[in-house]
Amino acid sequence: MAYWENKRVIEVLKNKRAERKARKEGISLLRAGLVWTVLVAVLVFLMLTAIAIGSVRYPLALVLRALFGLEEGTVSVIVLNLRLPRVLLAMLLGAALATSGSLLQAVMRNPLADPGIIGVSAGAATAATTILLLFPALALSVPLFAFIGAGLACLLIYSMAWKGGVDPIRLILTGVAINAVLGGYTGLLQLMYSDNLASVLAFMNGNLSGRSWVHVQTVVVYCIIGLGASLFCIKSANALQLGDEMCKNLGVRVNLNRIVLSAVSAFLAAATVSVVGLIGFVGLVVPRVARMLVGSDYRVMLPTSMLLGAAVLLFADTVGRSIVPGMEIPVGIVMAVIGGPAFLYMLRKRGRFSGT
Amino acid sequence: MELKAQAIDIAYDMRTVVHGMDIRINKKEITTIVGPNGSGKSTVLKAITRLIPHKKGTVYLGGKLLKEYRPKALSRCIGVLPQVHAAPADFRVRELVSYGRMPHQKMLSGLSEEDRRVIDWAMNATGVFEMRDKSIFQISGGERQRVWIATVLAQQPEILFLDEPTTFLDVAHQYETMRLVQRLNRETGIGVVMVLHDLGHALEVSDRIIAMKEGKKYAEGTPSEVITPDVLKAVWGVTGKVVDVGGRPIIVYDELFAPTIS
Repeated sequence: MAYWENKRVIEVLKNKRAERKARKEGISLLRAGLVWTVLVAVLVFLMLTAIAIGSVRYPLALVLRALFGLEEGTVSVIVLNLRLPRVLLAMLLGAALATSGSLLQAVMRNPLADPGIIGVSAGAATAATTILLLFPALALSVPLFAFIGAGLACLLIYSMAWKGGVDPIRLILTGVAINAVLGGYTGLLQLMYSDNLASVLAFMNGNLSGRSWVHVQTVVVYCIIGLGASLFCIKSANALQLGDEMCKNLGVRVNLNRIVLSAVSAFLAAATVSVVGLIGFVGLVVPRVARMLVGSDYRVMLPTSMLLGAAVLLFADTVGRSIVPGMEIPVGIVMAVIGGPAFLYMLRKRGRFSGT
Repeated sequence: MELKAQAIDIAYDMRTVVHGMDIRINKKEITTIVGPNGSGKSTVLKAITRLIPHKKGTVYLGGKLLKEYRPKALSRCIGVLPQVHAAPADFRVRELVSYGRMPHQKMLSGLSEEDRRVIDWAMNATGVFEMRDKSIFQISGGERQRVWIATVLAQQPEILFLDEPTTFLDVAHQYETMRLVQRLNRETGIGVVMVLHDLGHALEVSDRIIAMKEGKKYAEGTPSEVITPDVLKAVWGVTGKVVDVGGRPIIVYDELFAPTIS
């Protein structure tokens, strides 16, 4: 008989186990369920509000009728072809960015990791700036180049940081260095071509205006791939939180998992950047709030992060296009203005993440 | 299951820190590796558990080369509690221990009935069952160390490796941890390999002690064979003697400011 099969212990534990299962597991799921319900309700509310407000305001009833195809003419066009795709886009991209940040925080074992640190933003910005300023004829292909640029910068950082494995600290520091170089390059280009900066600025301050169903289709494909893949990362993301050596002890291939998680994270961030330009803070702040709400178990934390990311970006975009009448503030700017202070607040409120 | 390392060299980058180490671990025994800081004792523990690679030599586990094991298969044979480990503060005891079942699970599966049974056993064997719903930051350092031991036990290993399990603990918790290790070994027959700094602990709980100095094995044998005034002097550079107090060997070091007798 193996040593763990002690009959006496098993008998005693059987009853306790049933009791415990009902009591405690119930509570943690209940909590997650509650948070999810609230988030979904908030999302629906935000969606309806976002569709209702804008240069023309519609009452809720009209919005609903238009959504269900009961209206025709201008109302239908504005609701279905202008506002709905934008709302969906904001939600999808918010979820993608939040997921990207969540995965990266597991890779770095650090709640302060942001997709920007692995070069996604800097790489995309470098590519986009180069195309927009040096090869303006290719301007329509900016999303493609931005995606490739983001991927290349990420690869560069990983290969520079690789030394028999990926060490989070080395990765972060390498990221800082490469980001600085790329930032210098884009800065120089902007100085040299300071007459044509409008398009570059639009890219640098992530912007959702003028996006249509075509963009939604692209992003849906990205999200199905990226968000789908992220669900398969949950177990390794959880394990990585226990430290490298503990992971190895548990038979988890640490380096392989780090690379897979980073790749999924980079893919989601790059996809977002390529469609709307740079949006900061979602990947940084949202996973942290999700952690506060439901804890660090990625099985509940990741879905929470997705929902919350969708809500946050939709909120930011709606604020951006409605707060100043007649003017749109890019969502990237709104996120920076809301996200910065929110982040500071969280930093001061909660310092502790992990311990031995 | 027996672990046998023959003439292994271990290097960090280009610097070889352990030279020609032979080590043999028998199941059901408590083996303790001791030595001064930088003698390579933790390095050896990591190499024979494959947390780090070794440069030369061979390590066999149960007659099979260590490097031929698949990661999960190895994790079902040996369990290692590293010196440095971390977990998010909100993890509950039960949740953390359940990670010990990872080597037994498929990629996407949840906890089976068998898994839950072993988790409960591991928590019970380490005395943390009652605090299973607390978060790991609501409990004391000693309790947390027992939770980690429970996590490794949930792997159902045949040999348990502990890297300085008492280092960050106060005296009471050190005592508690040592007692737990001894009890686990006696009651379940699980083999234990530890790295310890405290020679007193090593003397009391070990069946066999390996003393290391400057990356090499200096002495090996039963506690009374290894912990002698000569070895204390040669390995740690301290003078003292081992006295018998009520059948227990106790180390009495020379007074701090006494002139060294050479």
